[in-house]
Amino acid sequence: MTRSEHSARAASNPVAGMATVVVVQLAGAVFLRQFLLIEDWRLVIGLLLIFGAALVLMERVPSLEARVEAAFARHSRLALLLGMAIVLGFPFVLEGNTYALHLCVISMLYAVLALALNFQLGSANIPNFATGASYGIGAYASALLALNFGVSFWVALPVAAVVATIFGFLLGIPSMRTRDSYLALVTIAFGVVIHQLLNNLEFTGGPNGLVGIPVPELFGHSFGDPLVIFGQELPSQANFYYLSALLVLISIVFARRLHDSRVGLAWNALRTDELAARCQGINVTWYKVLAFAVDAFLAGFAGTIYAFYVGFISPDNFTFLVSVTIMTMVIAGGMDNILGVIVGAFLLTLLPEKLRAFSDYRILFFGVTVIAFLMIRPQGLFPQRLRRYGD
Amino acid sequence: MALSASSPVVLEGENLTMRFGGLVAMAEVAFTLKRGEILGIIGPNGAGKSTLLNIITGIYIPSSGEVRLEGERLNGVPAHKIVARGIARTFQSSRLFGDLSVLDNVVIGRHTHTKAGVFDAIFRRGRAKAELEAAAAHAETLLKSVSRGLHEQRHRPAGELAQADRRRLEIARALATDPKVLLLDEPSSGMDDADTDALMDDIRAVCAQRPDLALMIIEHDMRLVASLPHRVMVLDYGQKLADGPYEEIRKIPRVQEAYLGRKATQHAGA
Amino acid sequence: MSELFFQQILNWITLGSVYALIAVGFSLLFGVLNIIHFSHGDVSLLAPFLALTVISTLGSMLGDLNSLSVFVLALLVAIAITGLIGVLLDLVVIQRFRKAPAMMALVATVALGIVLRELIRHLFPNGSNPHAFPRLVEGDVMVGSLSVPLFSLVVIAVSVLVVCALFFMLNSTRLGLHIKAVSQDRDAARLMAINPGRIFRATFFVASAIGAVGGLFFSSYAGMARFDFSIDVGLIGFSAAVVGGLGSMPGAIIGSLLIAGLDTFVQAVVPNGASYRLVFVFLLVIGVLVFRPAGLMGRTLVEKV
Ligand SMILES: Nc1ncnc2c1ncn2[C@@H]1O[C@H](COP(=O)(O)OP(=O)(O)O)[C@@H](O)[C@H]1O
Ligand SMILES: [Mg+2]
Repeated sequence: MTRSEHSARAASNPVAGMATVVVVQLAGAVFLRQFLLIEDWRLVIGLLLIFGAALVLMERVPSLEARVEAAFARHSRLALLLGMAIVLGFPFVLEGNTYALHLCVISMLYAVLALALNFQLGSANIPNFATGASYGIGAYASALLALNFGVSFWVALPVAAVVATIFGFLLGIPSMRTRDSYLALVTIAFGVVIHQLLNNLEFTGGPNGLVGIPVPELFGHSFGDPLVIFGQELPSQANFYYLSALLVLISIVFARRLHDSRVGLAWNALRTDELAARCQGINVTWYKVLAFAVDAFLAGFAGTIYAFYVGFISPDNFTFLVSVTIMTMVIAGGMDNILGVIVGAFLLTLLPEKLRAFSDYRILFFGVTVIAFLMIRPQGLFPQRLRRYGD
Repeated sequence: MALSASSPVVLEGENLTMRFGGLVAMAEVAFTLKRGEILGIIGPNGAGKSTLLNIITGIYIPSSGEVRLEGERLNGVPAHKIVARGIARTFQSSRLFGDLSVLDNVVIGRHTHTKAGVFDAIFRRGRAKAELEAAAAHAETLLKSVSRGLHEQRHRPAGELAQADRRRLEIARALATDPKVLLLDEPSSGMDDADTDALMDDIRAVCAQRPDLALMIIEHDMRLVASLPHRVMVLDYGQKLADGPYEEIRKIPRVQEAYLGRKATQHAGA
Repeated sequence: MSELFFQQILNWITLGSVYALIAVGFSLLFGVLNIIHFSHGDVSLLAPFLALTVISTLGSMLGDLNSLSVFVLALLVAIAITGLIGVLLDLVVIQRFRKAPAMMALVATVALGIVLRELIRHLFPNGSNPHAFPRLVEGDVMVGSLSVPLFSLVVIAVSVLVVCALFFMLNSTRLGLHIKAVSQDRDAARLMAINPGRIFRATFFVASAIGAVGGLFFSSYAGMARFDFSIDVGLIGFSAAVVGGLGSMPGAIIGSLLIAGLDTFVQAVVPNGASYRLVFVFLLVIGVLVFRPAGLMGRTLVEKV
């Protein structure tokens, strides 16, 4: 029972526990900052090696991992506050580097998408290849509202999420009758159908997509303008940085609460054994449809932010390959592990950008990554954890 | 564990037939089960024992016939609703949620007694959490009452349990649904004699705590069949050969031939 | 009018034959392995690139030869190599997922398909661009008053031959019987001293080689080879197998004809149909799956509990 021993030790020494939390979080932030700002590919590789070494160390020395875990569990409030402070302060230490900020925004959107897919792939083991399509539906719905009806971003945001959710339900309906490969085919087909429709319909602008999506405003402040906080001027991307960070936070809250609830348990049950789950009284069909809906809901949000951030969208932003990319993030990060999925999203968004030589091969890289993880480490970088109650 | 003759029937089946393509796995079988009764089901492999359980629990849809729980027809009721109405089961090849903790397996058994949906989980967190924690507390008590050893392993993944404990956990998970009828499919398969004896004691204890629980138990182990059930039903080739107290059915020659075989015949002679 | 109608019918059967050659492999592999080999379409469409490579190598080695014989030789080599690649993929990747949950094999083979496409793109000279691919045969024959492209006749005839050979192999040869035994009950087959690993490899070879024929026909039909053809063709081949009922060979053929029929019909009748063809095809697939989850010819198996 080394685990309880260590949690006992961490509990008896709150200072050490708090120090652990602070050190781990700051180290993570510094690591990300360096990773974003470094240009030389050799240094990037070096950082990756450090990251790998840290993971291996955690895995080899379970007591260390247990101690970190216990510290975070015990000082969860401190961890949360410090984490928020770091996220808020992060743009200030990026030396005004707009590209780094841009990468942060994209990574965070992918983190939301990966968390969305995780409800299905991770929690319920439903292979959904249509998350990219839901992302696109959210983006197009909000952009169309803004362009045709002058609807403001803040109204379009929830409406687009609802539209995406409705499509998610529709996509979920075939899942009542189909499973595994058949269901995967349905989701792939759905993605292709959506892509072709976007590509060909008149009102979606065909292959050229939609352009001139207006920049959001909040209390008279345009998101296209630089953000001035405490006399410090941040590039305009910072507006969307904070917006996406908020969305990531909301997604984490969703993910955690659902995971730790009866719904998450039901998803986990049908993941392992659908028939046994039915025999415990779980309405398997309903829970599967629900997973589709929740996935589409969050993806719809991400799509809206993307559309308004970039200002133009086209069908090619939302292809099958986008879905596969998201899937890679979930599988590599760790299915059903929230932290893992987020790390997976950041890593796989940033790597091809940082290793430029490599970005030509990014799709190949994603494909190989998925296969390698499934063959060698199917649980991902951060394996799922058993639940605990009460303590 | 006296069973009074006046106990009402909880579960009954009539005229049950199950075909798989050309194969008739069950032909016009009828049965009854009274409140508090333990019914043993025996028969050679492929006799249709599991098929009967699958029909009752809504996993298979019978080609004809009907099942009634407390007088209400179960035909057409989906499996997950049958559980909510009070029929729980275990599986011949145990089907646990292996990557979840032992405790979670039992908490999942509380599914029909909890309510929180997506909306509650996200926006009414306190309520959802309290509900789930109550379910976890209930599950702990249940685990403890079924088997202390199992309770001590409650934070391990269910997939790591030893065979005997897997069987116990399946029973605990089924009991967590608060069933009126519990169906056990070969609970002692793959166990040695000592484990079987311990399991038998556990089942007895479970029944003693729940005098109203009706039990159907498919078994191969003759010691268990001889001592535990009030009544034994014999199936062969999908047909009911006999139905009565063990002392009576074991004397029927056809039953001895069909199932009990030479070994049991010797026992009967002894 | 009737001329045009006849052309459409011919076009339909030609396309249906090509799809069937790919769909049959999906169905065969599923029947034997019980997993979906999602990248089967991508494997099949490696063949045109292999053939082009062979042609250019032979051309540079031997100078100008009788072009038809070089072409036929190249096709045969491409078919054989594609078959071997199928086996290789099984050995290196797919084999690992025999006992894993269905979802893992599925995702892995989807990724494998992507890898294959990307490899063509990066390894084949100018792989991102379309490459001209010759017609197998040029010219028409006159049937009564109708002129029929020889190409269509060859495609249909070869497809029928290949499928008949496959049926014969499955039903009347030792290997075929073993394949059937393994697909019905792997463990029982092992008890009968059949080595399932060998049967899997044989199945992969046969399925991939037949798929290669389909891939070559498709490129020849389209007049070019493209690295991303396999997205459409692979998905359609898989859809055809699913619509027909995975595991059923006649089902795969019926599914192919059905989908090719819809495809041809939409392109001929619906305005701007060429851009919407996949929408219709996949709506059909989703519809069939919702109302007949086991496909048209598939048997609904009840899981044994
Ligand atoms: N889902 C199914 N599909 C086809 N045949 C089945 C299915 N379930 C059971 N059977 C057949 O029905 C017969 C009875 O099986 P079963 O009820 O499992 O027997 P047992 O008495 O050993 O539990 C067997 O011949 C079995 O092969
Ligand atoms: Mg049985």
